[in-house]
Parts: sequence; C-alpha cells; structure tokens
Amino acid sequence: MNSLLAEVTGVIRDLFEDDQITVTESTRAPDVEGWDSLMHLNIIIAVEQRYAIRFSTAEIARLKEPGQNVGSLLDAIRSKTRTSS
Amino acid sequence: MPSEDAPLPRHRDKSGPDPRPHSPPPAESGHSSNGAHPVDAPQSSGLSDRAAAFRLSIVPDMGFAAATAAARRLKKLRDEGVSSRSSARVAVLGNSTTSQLTSFLELFLFARGIDGVIYEAPYGLMRQEILDPESELYRFGPQFVVLAGSRRDLSLPPPAAPPEDVALAADAAVTEWRTLGRTVHERSGCRVIQNNFEPPAWRAFGNLEMSHAGAIGDFVDRVNRGLRRDLPEWLTLHDLDGLAASIGRWNWGDERYFHLAKLPCAPEHLATYAHSLAALISAHLGRGRKCLVLDLDNTLWGGVIGDDGLSGVILGAGDPVGEAYVEFQRYVRALSQRGVILAVCSKNEEVNAREPFERHPGMVLKLEDIACFVANWEDKATNLVRIAETLNLGMDALVFVDDLPHERALVRRLLPDVAVPELPADPTDYIQAIEQHRYFEVVSVTREDLQRTSFYRSDAQRRFTGSSAADLDAFLQSLEMHASCGPIGPHELARATQLIGRSNQFNLTTRRHSTTDVQRMTAHPQWVTRVVGLADRFGDQGLISVLLAEQQDDALVIDTWIMSCRVLKRGVEQLLLNHLVALARDRDLRHIVGEYVPTSKNGLVQDHYARLGFAPLDTRNDGATRWQLEVGAEWQPLSHHINGAAQ
Repeated sequence: MNSLLAEVTGVIRDLFEDDQITVTESTRAPDVEGWDSLMHLNIIIAVEQRYAIRFSTAEIARLKEPGQNVGSLLDAIRSKTRTSS
Repeated sequence: MPSEDAPLPRHRDKSGPDPRPHSPPPAESGHSSNGAHPVDAPQSSGLSDRAAAFRLSIVPDMGFAAATAAARRLKKLRDEGVSSRSSARVAVLGNSTTSQLTSFLELFLFARGIDGVIYEAPYGLMRQEILDPESELYRFGPQFVVLAGSRRDLSLPPPAAPPEDVALAADAAVTEWRTLGRTVHERSGCRVIQNNFEPPAWRAFGNLEMSHAGAIGDFVDRVNRGLRRDLPEWLTLHDLDGLAASIGRWNWGDERYFHLAKLPCAPEHLATYAHSLAALISAHLGRGRKCLVLDLDNTLWGGVIGDDGLSGVILGAGDPVGEAYVEFQRYVRALSQRGVILAVCSKNEEVNAREPFERHPGMVLKLEDIACFVANWEDKATNLVRIAETLNLGMDALVFVDDLPHERALVRRLLPDVAVPELPADPTDYIQAIEQHRYFEVVSVTREDLQRTSFYRSDAQRRFTGSSAADLDAFLQSLEMHASCGPIGPHELARATQLIGRSNQFNLTTRRHSTTDVQRMTAHPQWVTRVVGLADRFGDQGLISVLLAEQQDDALVIDTWIMSCRVLKRGVEQLLLNHLVALARDRDLRHIVGEYVPTSKNGLVQDHYARLGFAPLDTRNDGATRWQLEVGAEWQPLSHHINGAAQ
C-alpha cells in the first residue's frame, strides 16, 4: 500500500518536474501548487499508462469531483489492478 | 558546419551512449531553478550541454507522461536562458482543449532547434478570434496559424439528403474554411496550417460508408478533397486524417477524454499530433532534413560484406530477413526519388563496399542513387563532415542511419546537429523507426526534386575533388532561390542584431553592435544597412545576411558583413555585392572598402574580398586587412542563381 503511494508520488513528481513534492492519501488538488484541472487530467492519464489500466468515463469524472484526494486515486488504481490480475 | 554557427559543445559528457528516454529525463532538484543540476548527472555541466542533451532526449514516441514532464522541463530551461537558433510565433486555434497539444508543439519545435512562441486561443473561440480584427490573435502577430479543426466542426448533411445537396454542403464547408483561413492570412500575413478532417471510427453505412453520398465517411472525404483543390500558396494542409489512419481510428480517438475534457485525440497520440505539426512548421522554416546517410553492413544488407563476401550477405528474395532489407532499400529509394539526397558512410574497403551495388542481384539501390559514397576506416564523424562538405549541406541537413549503437553514440556526441535515429534490431522495423521522425518533411515537391539524383549522377571520386562548375550551376539553379534585400526596418531589427551578436564564422569584423547601435545606423543618412532574406524550394530560410556600411568621402566602407553558414556558396555574397555597387554608384561614390579582422573562428572568410574581386589596400599589425573595389563603369555584376527583389 505504501509502495503504491510511493509509485504514484513518483508519477506526480515526474509530471511536475519537481522531486520535492510529497503527497499523502489525504492530499487534495488544492493542497499542491500548480495542481489544476489540466494537471489533474494529466495525472490520471499518466497513471493509466503507468499501470496499463483503463478507467471508465464515470470513474475519471468522479476523480475530478471536488473532495476527491490522492487516496481516491489509489483506490481507483487498486480496483483496476485487482480485477485485471 | 553548424548553421548560424552558434558555438557548439564538441563533447557532451553526460549524454550516455543512448539518450532515448524510456524513463523521463532527469528531473531538476527542487524549486531552486537557478544553477540546479540534473539529479542523475554526476558531473557538473553547463547549461548549453544540458540543453543539448535535453534536445536529443525529445523523441516522437515518448508518450504522454514523458512529454508532459519534458514540456515542463523545457519551460524551466528557457527561463534559465536556453534558446535555439530559430524561433517561430505560432497560434493554435481549435474548438478543443489544446493546452497539452501546444505545450508538446513547443517541445517538438525545440527538438528541431526552434523556439516556439505559442499563442493558444481561448477554448472554443476559433471563429471569433479570426473574425474579430481586434482579437488577441492579431495582437500576438503569428507567423503560423494552426487551424486545428476536427470533424466535430463540420455540419453534416442528413444521411438521406440527395447527392446534390451533399455536394453543396461539402462545398459550403470547404468555402467556409477557406474564408476563415484567408481572413487570418490577410489580416496577419501568416502562413495557415489547416487540419483536414478525420471520420469517426464507426461506420453507420458499414462497407458503403465511403460510397453512399451523405454517409459521414463520404462527406468527410468530399470535404478533404475539396480542401486540396486550388490550394492557395499561403495554405498548408496538415493531414490529420492520414495521421489518424496510420494510428488506427479506434486508437486515435479516445472518446473518454473527449467527453471529459474535449481533448482532440487520445492522450497518448497528442505527442504524435504535435510532432507532425512541428515537422511542418520546421519545413516551412527551411529546416527539414535533406540527406539520408546510410551505413552498409547490417543496415542495407545483413552480414558484413568484407567477411561474408558477395554470396554471404543476406539480401534478396528467398530469405525472410533478406526480403526485409530489400523492402528497406525500396523505402530508401522512394525517398531518393522524391528528392532526398542519399549518401553512404561505411567502414569498409571501398572496393568491397561497392561490390554489392555493382553485382548483387538483390540490391534495389544502385551506385547512381548515391550522391556521395564514402567507404574507408576513418571515424564516422569525420566522414559525415566530409559528406556534408562534398554535398554543400549543413550538418543539420543530415540524417545518419547505422545499426551499431556506438557509431550512433559517437555521431550524437561529436555532431549534435546530425539527426541519428535509434534503429531496432529487426531490419523489418527500420522503415517505421526512421519514418516516425518526419525528418524529410517538405512544403512542396517540384519537378526538380524528382530529378534530383541526376544532378549528382557522376562518379564519387569526382565529387571528392569538387563538382564540376556545370553540375554546381545546375544544382543551384534547381534550388529556385529568391532573395529579398533591403534596409533593416523595425521588423528585421531583432533578427539582424541576433546575427550580429551570434555569428562567428562568416563574420568579417566580428563587431557586436547592440540593437541601439544598429537602430541609430538605420536612421543615419551616412549609413547603409541591409538584410537579406532567402527562400528556396525547401522553404523560407529567413533573414540570413546582414551588412552595415558607412559612407566616408568617396567610398562606402563596410563595417560589418555577416552571413549564416547554412547558405554558404549559394551566391548570396555576389547578390549582395551587386546590390551594394549599384547603391554606391547611385551615391556617386568611387570605391567600396571592405575590412577583414581575423579571429579564431572566421578563417572561412579570410579571402572573402579577394574572391569578390577586391584589391588589397593595406594590412594592420594585428593582421586585419583592408580591401578596395572600384565601382566605375568597367565593373561587371557578378553572376549567381538567385532571383533578387531589391528595394
């Protein structure tokens, strides 16, 4: 579980080109400077590529709703990687 | 010779042998952008080294996440002062989300040595931006406007419409887009790059989709054909439909991201889309590659000719791998027939290297297809320089294809301007590996392109000793060069000052006048300022020469004469001198005086004035020489092959 958070942190750091970014499961987009709706989308796309998974339209839409945090993203990844393996 | 001769590092220490980033490029550490070093680069290296390595790491198949990270890295590098040799102001207008597309476009332009200044129209405002003469678009002043349309911008006729109505609707769509394009072109003077349209992957009419008038596939096809008809000079069509088809229509559009965020195509293909646009823009800036340099052993055939002998190399029908090499040669020959110049650069005994071309039945390529054939035991970088010189091309015109990773690494390291694609292990995959880079994009194909090889058809030995004058004349003629020559005006000031500040090789006096100095000269009646722009069949080379001269008594004294090395030996000097003599005569002057101040870098132009017919006047202690030309009635204009438009 911690390793998944670490991996996703890596994806986020790569996208931001910033190795100092730290996130926890409770981190939400407004907590990180520059994490706008475009970056949010970029993160979802990068995560799909990283884990070779495909979120449904509704799942992505849900992840874009206010109140969702990094934990929501990790849950979404887990639900996909569990069913596909 | 690197174009515009910005000083280039001879060694890039930290770019490993194979800088293809399957992992993202090294990240900057922290927020301290000033002087921060890449985390995984152990040695400290300068900004320009990092920029050069970064440029090489940008490849068309780099995927969404890597491209996003690289685009952010580029912004940081540019903030730190990294710049390219050329720049381009590009506006992207689309009724879709173009943020990622434009940042990738900037990235791929940078990879091609172009600093993109990008204007992204607000979402969904394409038409308003074009039609409103006061819009931000016109304030931006674009050189290129990309009309990034998609089929969703088309109003489709009902499928039951009679064929005449379908035809009318298609014509109306073509007219509307042509009018939008013409409006933005006429108001801003820009070149318009317009997408054609891609049909959806689904087909309501199934197999009849392309033949039933009014089916979406048929309608989109009609519009696309209409767009190609009577294409005006200012308009370039970007074949988005071809791009979508090459990727596969179901894969091209990831409709989830259209529904969620109005992305114009699937995220993983945005880089391909942006790269395709960057290649077109680069071609229009005259920066398309012109020459394909090929290794031989395990590149054009399997095996080593020197060891395996003529009957031992793998080539030709009957052997699957041999057929793959034949197919690759067909691809190379097709490029050559389209106008790409071919050269060979091989470590071999020359007689061995030539033997398959002369005697192997499986060879598609013949010796007469090869403009410059170099087979010896010297290092490939040296030989590539020789090939470029022989063909009178800049290093940035070359693409070097070699199956050996260390040869590729050597060339990348020593000649960063040469494009060196990665080559997969399987020769079947060579074609796609080269093709995906879009190196040889051109703005048009002329009859001369199709006959190009004939200009070079002579034996390689003679090419080494220099082409005959007749061949060179024919070649220069075929370039269809046009020059404009006029005073430095407000629009030319920045570029002129940039040339003055940067040029080292073709620079007679290396006086680094500031923008203010040059501006003052342009306003002063005693001073003559000139810039020369050159365009040829390959595209617009932009402003490539600057001259500053001051009238002193009965002489015009040339203070500064600079030219970009990428147009060396094209006749620009002759054209400019002719222009200058006419100008001196108009002012009733008797002489033109030129000066050469030697530096460690400008040996190239030591004999510049002697070559142009000037007589030596005097030599200073520091080695500077002065030269004089009488401009009396007996002086005859110098010949060249450029059509001039002097003002």
